[in-house]
This record gives sequence, structure tokens and C-alpha cells, in this order.
Amino acid sequence: MPPVQHSLTVRLSTNVTDAALDAALTAAAELWWPGDRRPRLWTEPVPAPAASDAAARRRAAEASRPVASGHRLRAVLLRYGDERREGAAAAPDLVLTADGSALDARSLRVVARVLRGDLAPEAVTPLAGPLPLDLRLDEETRRLASALALTVGRYEGASAVRVAVPVPARDRPPYALGALDGYAVFAADLSPGRTVAQLLATEPVAPAVGEEPPSPELMASDGPAVLPTGPGTLPVPARQVDDIRQQLLTSTPNARLSQLNPLSEAESAEQLALGARPAPPASSLRIDEAFAAQVAARPEAPALTAGSTTLSYAELDARAEALADGLYARGVRPGDLVGLCLPRSTDLVAAMLAVLKADAVHVPLDPEHPADRRERTARDAGVRLTVEDPATLTGHPPRPAAPRGEPGSPAYVIHTSGSTGRPKGVVVPHANVTALVDAVREDFGLSPDDTWTCFHSAAFDFSVWEIWGALLTGGRLVVADHWTTRSPEDFHALLVRERVSVLSQTPSAFTQLAAADRTAPDPVGTRLVVLGGEPLGARPLLDWFDRHPEDRCRLVNMYGITETTVHVTAATVTRRDALAGSRSVGRPLPGWSVRVLDAHGRPVPPGAPGEIVVGGAGVALGYLNRPALTAERFVPDPLDPAGRRLYRSGDLGRLLPDGTLEHLGRIDDQVQVRGFRIEPGEIRHVLLEDPAVSAAAVTVTGGDAGDAAAVRIDAYVVPAPGAGEDPGPVRERAARLLPPHMVPATVTVLPALPLTANGKLDAARLPAPGTRRDPVTAPAPAAAAHEAGPAAALAAIWCDVLGVETIGPDDDFWDLGGNSLYAIRIGTLARERGLPGVPLRQLYLTPTLGALSEALARKT
Amino acid sequence: MTGDGTGPGTGPVTGGAGTGPVSGAGAGRLAGRAAVITGAARGLGRACALAFAREGADLMLLDVAGELPGVPYPLGSASQLAHTADLCREAGSAVLTRQADVRDLAALEAAADASEERFGRIDVLVNNAGIAAPSGRPAHEITEAEWQLMIDVDLGGAWRAIRAVGARMVAQGSGSIVNVASTAGLVGYRHFAGYVAAKHGLVGLTKAVALDYAPRKVRVNAVCPGSVRDDEAMEGRMLAEIARSLEVPVAVHEETFVRDQPMNALVEPGDVADAVLWLATDASRQVTGSVVTVDGGFTAR
Repeated sequence: MPPVQHSLTVRLSTNVTDAALDAALTAAAELWWPGDRRPRLWTEPVPAPAASDAAARRRAAEASRPVASGHRLRAVLLRYGDERREGAAAAPDLVLTADGSALDARSLRVVARVLRGDLAPEAVTPLAGPLPLDLRLDEETRRLASALALTVGRYEGASAVRVAVPVPARDRPPYALGALDGYAVFAADLSPGRTVAQLLATEPVAPAVGEEPPSPELMASDGPAVLPTGPGTLPVPARQVDDIRQQLLTSTPNARLSQLNPLSEAESAEQLALGARPAPPASSLRIDEAFAAQVAARPEAPALTAGSTTLSYAELDARAEALADGLYARGVRPGDLVGLCLPRSTDLVAAMLAVLKADAVHVPLDPEHPADRRERTARDAGVRLTVEDPATLTGHPPRPAAPRGEPGSPAYVIHTSGSTGRPKGVVVPHANVTALVDAVREDFGLSPDDTWTCFHSAAFDFSVWEIWGALLTGGRLVVADHWTTRSPEDFHALLVRERVSVLSQTPSAFTQLAAADRTAPDPVGTRLVVLGGEPLGARPLLDWFDRHPEDRCRLVNMYGITETTVHVTAATVTRRDALAGSRSVGRPLPGWSVRVLDAHGRPVPPGAPGEIVVGGAGVALGYLNRPALTAERFVPDPLDPAGRRLYRSGDLGRLLPDGTLEHLGRIDDQVQVRGFRIEPGEIRHVLLEDPAVSAAAVTVTGGDAGDAAAVRIDAYVVPAPGAGEDPGPVRERAARLLPPHMVPATVTVLPALPLTANGKLDAARLPAPGTRRDPVTAPAPAAAAHEAGPAAALAAIWCDVLGVETIGPDDDFWDLGGNSLYAIRIGTLARERGLPGVPLRQLYLTPTLGALSEALARKT
Repeated sequence: MTGDGTGPGTGPVTGGAGTGPVSGAGAGRLAGRAAVITGAARGLGRACALAFAREGADLMLLDVAGELPGVPYPLGSASQLAHTADLCREAGSAVLTRQADVRDLAALEAAADASEERFGRIDVLVNNAGIAAPSGRPAHEITEAEWQLMIDVDLGGAWRAIRAVGARMVAQGSGSIVNVASTAGLVGYRHFAGYVAAKHGLVGLTKAVALDYAPRKVRVNAVCPGSVRDDEAMEGRMLAEIARSLEVPVAVHEETFVRDQPMNALVEPGDVADAVLWLATDASRQVTGSVVTVDGGFTAR
């Protein structure tokens, strides 16, 4: 398809008359297009000097004005205000505009030459039909097309870019008129490993019939193609294209395309500076030192509440001291790793503090995780001992006084999901945690007046933020017990009862809490809500803002990674963001920095997607006992003379010109489920460890809808030779080794996994997941089937929530893909449909439909 | 791009490939749009043309530019039309002018053809041409010729111009037609039966055509000005002619009309032009078939 129209502006001589020009146009048109609609000459007085901006605007307007349909050419003569000035008369301009499907750019030049009297109209050959195109590109044009493709590829993060290149018609007669020239498609392959010579050798192809020219386009000119100029005509800066063109000219043929960079050093530095957020220098402290300062300042102030127990700062300190003595007595020495497997309680926090006071490193082990998994984690970490009962640590003599380690020494190890199949232990030093609290203390107005909750598992680093955010700012920390965290209504009541002012939640949990807040008699009185752990869909917050205006309760969305000490960036979320569905996660915290880099570690151009790389005060020490993985993800900052390290997050992001970061998801197939980052690779690894399994695949679906409860993990296994075809034992084993949120909802047995031609798993060809047991085969008792009572209503709720068509009394909630969020939905729906509530605890105790119905019937 | 397509030593040649209708147009709410205005020699027509020019529109300005037998006062002149065009060019517009009587369908069609050929499109039509007299007598004293003339110009003229441009706007799937009616399109005035009937008819025409064109996103609205001051720069004389028809002494006619104005002021031509401009631009995207009254509250009573 040719361009919609072309235009050409030609300066005429001062003595040209309208009549003469009109006559020339009429004569030429009658000769070339006899019997056709004749173009008229329009004369337009421009009451401004030819050199003025007003005249330039008029020329631009005339050149871009559409040609009326049915007309091939428009001729406008612009006569300027200074046309008759003595001595320096301004010559008129002739603006020719042609319908691109009738006349090409070269034809327009021929017309101009005739109208200027440089060429006789008889010398011109009007042609009707198209001519074959000459697809040979000269070197200049190849280089320019390559440069444009490379630059666009850098901006779009794309490895294949198509560029339209103008090409002349083959065998075009001299002075031909018509839509004869066209364009070729230069399809550039920019894949990693490609060389300059390979790119330059790209063969242009003729566009398919009816094909739109690719954007970007080069422009036609008499010589090689040129870059179009003017605002908005190129998706990338022309200067950068030209830079790349120069680099193509000077690089060796075998140079990798990755060695070419459209950004100048200054531009790269600008991009780096955009994501930097230096912090004022502060003295770095150990966590226990910072806590001691709070104890000294306000010993009697409440520090920690669990249930009906509240400890003051002095009492908490004393309890931790006692436990630290016990740790010493049990052989814990500075630098040792100590497993903590304790329910949420005052002693969980006291024991954490005790480990730090003992100059050791705590390794939280979630008591809700399967014992086998906890054991493996503790063994991998090499813990000195695991605290499961604090009573064993009391009553020991005081430990000898000794200087404690530097603030840069490790404080805790938190395990995150690992793509290699094994959880990775992230080693975080004291100074990172105290720096985190210092970074937000002022902005968030954290003070001893605040009450925080400890909602999250100690094995999820959001709890690090909750615990130390409270205790290092003199606030009171309220520990929510397990059942309270699983019931939005109960948790809401706790927030009201304890007058919690600072709340931290994952967006999924917050959605449930906001729903509870809507129906609760008293709204919560929080002044600050910190959302983190998974991407935020801001739109559902509108309803919250209606009840909790932003000036009374501030909502902060924080992006972070365990490897960078909980948080990296913070964005205050307002109604404006909610309405816009903003994906911004804000700016880095003071002392943290973010860079968005390409696969070669170079800053991407402004606004282009790339890997989020984090530097500054939060970067962890590395992965425990995993030097190779540590070296891969924690890389020295090439720009830092001190050689401090950066963490390559594997997250995809975009740095906007205002310095805020947009988080675009995971680069690899990692997914987030309810705030936990999981990698299908880890689940697959566990499945593959099963002697009964020879091949395994894992799919994670539903995560894109922004509904964490809809995230569904399905597994496919190929039985090992001689092994049975029952997926039951496979799933049961996986459930022992994986935390609940990573256990596949279904395990489907296949004779073989579908593969692509490259031998990779072809996920698209996996069959629909089957349930472990077909619910239809479980016969529903005839009575129950016709019953319209509570049992049938409960069955209907299960079907609705779990998305299955029929259900039998022996069907197990967890086997049907149930998870804790579905459990909460069942409770909510039951209340809505006038049934007795379904306490979460009851669902855990009686997970089959029949048993649950019976248990509920007994209660009413 | 800078090149030399026509031979050496002959001065600069510039060119470019445009793909959109407005990419080279400047700023303004009507940048890249083309408007046809009837009765553009003076008065509200000139005020609208200038307001459009300031917003970047290109203009086809039409006027009868001569006497009409039966109209007892001088109508716009060719010189006045040329002056309006000059003022618009100074504001940055490209302007075409044509002498055309709105009773002459062929002349309006030729003007529409020329506008499209020159500007590539027609986005706005302002039906402003109209006469206020012969008036000043009760209905039974109006002659057949007087009645015909009034209806033919004030109502028939608008319909003819719509006929000339409507099909193009419908084909293009966009456009705005503004009919300049009058408070006489909403209420009666003693001894103005022909004028009042024509302007009421124009309001009805507006609503009916709005429904004809609504599916194709072509909007049709009416503006009803009240007593507009005869501004010197606009060379308006409508109010004076109405006064003359009512046998109000022309020397004191402004005071006489102000007495009936709730806001104690006459309407200025620019006030009306602003309303027309709003209806011409995308700011009124969902406004069609409506009547915008600019009368200082006259018809609110």
C-alpha cells in the first residue's frame, strides 16, 4: 500500500504569474490525463513574510492537507506578504500534493519540473499500471534499515523488527508519472548471537498483496532511503538511529549486535541516575542494638501483644535475654544458624531477638509447612538447632558477655522458592533491616504511637518488615494467631479491638479484609496500609477509598524481593491511581536503587522494558551455601568503585521518565501465589524426585486475572516403567514436601509429554487437567441428591467455588483444588445463602463434603 | 527531508509524505478542519469566521455580496467579504471566498465542490445568512412576494446549504452543522410573522436533520441569538434594521432594546460566535438537535 499522499513544496521565481502557472498546469493535465478531472491552481495570499513562522505553518498545513477524493493532484501557490518588497522580494511557493495511489514521490518531482518550465510536458510518460519493484538495496540503505531495526528493537525489547524500505520500480522510464515506486520489507532478526554481517545481509522482500507497510518506515529520496524527520514520525530518536548507523559502519562483520548501543554514555548515565535514590549517610546498626535503644528510651511502653498477653519493651528484652542464655547453653555460638519453628506468639518474636542477641542467625521454619520440607530446609541450611519449644531455653545461667558481630553480619536466612527445584536460603544482614526501617521512618511517620500487626508467617519476609518496623520505632506489635489470619472477619475485629494503625497485607488478603470492613459494625482505624508481596490491582481499592479517604488512611504499594530486604520501592496509591489502573510501584526507597537493564547489563532506553536490577542498602549477602547461584544473581556493580553488588531480580520492569518503576511481571515462568513467589520448576523437581515418575510438567494458570485464588497449579506426570498409573501417591508425596500453596490441584497421568520440534515441552498441547478422582464416580446418596436442605446447598456452594459440576459426599475439598482463599469464599457464600457459617477450622478438620455437612448439622 | 527534485540552482525544495489529515496543522480547536460559513461578509458571519480562524480552521466564506430585490436595506458587499477573508488570513487561515445567494442551489453546490477540492474535506457548515426585513407589518399586510423572500432566504437557504454539503459529511462520517436562528425561532415578535415563522422553521429543520444524520455522527444544532449589538468592527446592522422595522428611532435603538434585556446588556457578536464555535468543535461531541440560546436571558421570562 503506498503512502496516503505525498507533497512537494517548490520555490518559484518572483516573476511567475498566476495566469501563466495556471495555463501550464491546465496544458500539462490535458496532455497527460485527457478527459480527466483537471487540477486547479489555487492561489493563497499569506499576509506574512516568507521567512516567518506563520508562513512556515501555512506551508506545513498545505502539505499535510488531504487531497479530495477523486482528485490526483492539488496545486496551491502561496504568495507571501513580502513578495513586492524592494530589493529582497520573496518568491512564491508552489505546494503540490498528490494522492499516493495515483502519483508517487518521483512523479511529483516531474510535475514540479514541468510547472517550473524546466521540462516539456511532452517529455513526460504517464503510466497506469504498477511496475515490478527493484528489491536490491544499496549498502547505505541496508545500514540505515539495520540501524532503525536495531534501535527500535532496543526500545521494544523485541528480537524481530520489520522496517519498510522505499524501493524504486524496476525499468522505470525517465520522467514517468504514476504510482510506480513501492517499498520492501526488511525483516531484521536481532536474536542474541547474531552478528553485524548477518543483519546487514538481511534480504528485503516484496510486501504481500494488500499488506500494510510495517511501521517504522524509511523515506524515499533520490539517493538511498533516508530517515523521516519531524515530530512523531519515528518511534525512536533519529540521532540514536544515526549513532547505530555509524557503529555499523565501523564495527567488524563478526561483531555481535549486542555490542552496538544506541544510547550514548551520557544517556546511559541518565537512565542509571533516574533509578538511583541516595540516602543521607546514617550510622548503621545491628537489629538488637537498634532494639536496645528503644528499650532504653521507653522501657515500660508496650512492645508485644499476643492474645491477652502484652509485654513491655523491658519485659520483651528480658525474655529474649533469657532465651539467648538458653541458646548459648544449648551450644549456639556467634554465626550459628538457629531454626525457629514456633507458632505465632510472643515467644516467636522473643526467640528471634534472642538469636540475634546470641549473635547467631535465625532461620524461620513455617510450622504449617510439611515436616519433611521443614526438615530438609533445616538440614540444607545446616542449623545448629531448631527451637520448637522455648521452655527448653529457659532457666540457664547467663552467657558470657562478648562483643557482637558487625552490622554487616547475617541476621536471618529466609527460604524462597527456587527454579533449580530446591528452596534457596537468602542471607540478610542486620544493617539491611535497620536501613529499611530508617528509610521509611520519616516518610511513613512511624512512631511509638503506632500499633502494628504481625500477620504473616515468619517464613515470609513481609513479617520482617512488620516485626522490626514496629519494634525499631517504639511501636506495639500485635501478633495475630493462625486462625485469625485465616478469617478476614476475625482479623478485622482484631484490628478494631487493638486499634491497629499500621497494617501490612498482600493485595489478595487486603481484598478479603476490605470486604469484611464493608460489613463490619466498626470500620478499622488504620492510618497506613502497606501492600506488598504480589502485584497490586489498584482498581478494587476504590471502594476502600470511599470508606477510608486517603487523607485519613494512606495506602502504600511496595515492590520488593526477599533478596533486597523486603521492599525496594514505594508508591502512595490514590484514587487517581485506582481509576487509572496504575502499574507503578513508585520510586526506590532512600538508599535503594533500581536499574532496568537488558540481557547484556546495559541500561535500556527510557521507558523500554528490561530486567529490574536492584542496588543499595537492601542487597542481601547471597544464597546460603549456593556460591554459583549467588554469583549469578548477585553481581558486582561495574559503576561502583567500592564494588558493591547488585541483585538481578529476574523481574521485568520499565523505568518511567519521572523515575518511577513499573513492574511488568516475572521474566521467567515464576509466578506469585498469595504473596509467595513460586516456580513451577521447583514443583516439577519434587515430582521428578518421585521414583514412580519418569517425566513431569507443571502448569500455572489463572494468575493473569489478578485473582490469587484463581491461580491453579496442575501437574502432569509420566509413570516410571513398572510404576502404577495411580496419581494419588504422587500427589500425596508432593504434598508432604511442598508448602500448601505449591501443591498441584491435580495430577494427571499421561503416557508421554507433548514436545515441540526443539524437544521442549509443548504446554499448549497438554490435555485439560483431570481431577485425581472423578467426582462423578463418587455416588451421591439418593436422599441427598433430592434434598433441598443445608447439605445440598453446601454442595452447590462447593460446586460454584471449585468450578466442578457435580460433587459427592466423599469428595475432599483439597483434592478438588481447594485452597485457603476458596475456603474463605465458601464461608462467605454460606453466610450469604443463609446457611450456618463454615468456620475455616472446621473445613480443615472435616475436609470432605459429607463430613463437613454432618459436623455443621451437629452444631446447629 | 530536503532535496532537489527540480534541477540545480532553482531554490529550496521540500517535500514529505503525509498520512493523516492534520499532521502539519497547527494548534487550535479547529486545526486541520475546513468550515463553510454563509453570510460571512459582516456581522455574526464575520464574527464566526474570525473565531474559527483563530482556532486554526480553513474557511470557505460565502455571501450574496450584493443587493436582493425586496430587501429594504443593503446586504453584505464584496468588499466586506474580502475584508473578512483578509482578517481570517491574518489569523492564519487559508481562505476561499465565493459570491453566492443562498437561494441558488447550484451556486452552493459549486462552492461546496471548490471547498472540498481546495481543503480536501468539509467539517463545519455555519448557516448564518439571513435577512430581517421586509418586516414591521401585521400578517395580513405581508405580500406574497415578501413572504416568499423571507422563507426562501432564512429557511430555504439553510436547507440548500445542508443539501450541498450533507452528503459529503455523511460519507466522511463526521461534521457539524450550526444553524444561526434567533430568539424569533423560540418566541413570537409582533409584526415579524415572516421572520418568526422562518426562524421557527429553522429550529424545526435543525431537529429533523439532526435525526437524519445522527447515525453518521454528523451533528446539527441551532444557536438562537437575542438582541445582538451592531458592532462596528463586524459592521453588523441587523439590530438597526429590526429597529427600523419597528419604527424605533435608530439613534436610540440600543437603549430601547437594552430595556428588554434581563442582563441589562445587549449580546455581543463574539458571544454568539463562541457558542457557534463550541458547537463546531469536538467539545460538543454528543450535542445534536439542540438549541443553544444566547440572549442574555430574554426568552427565560
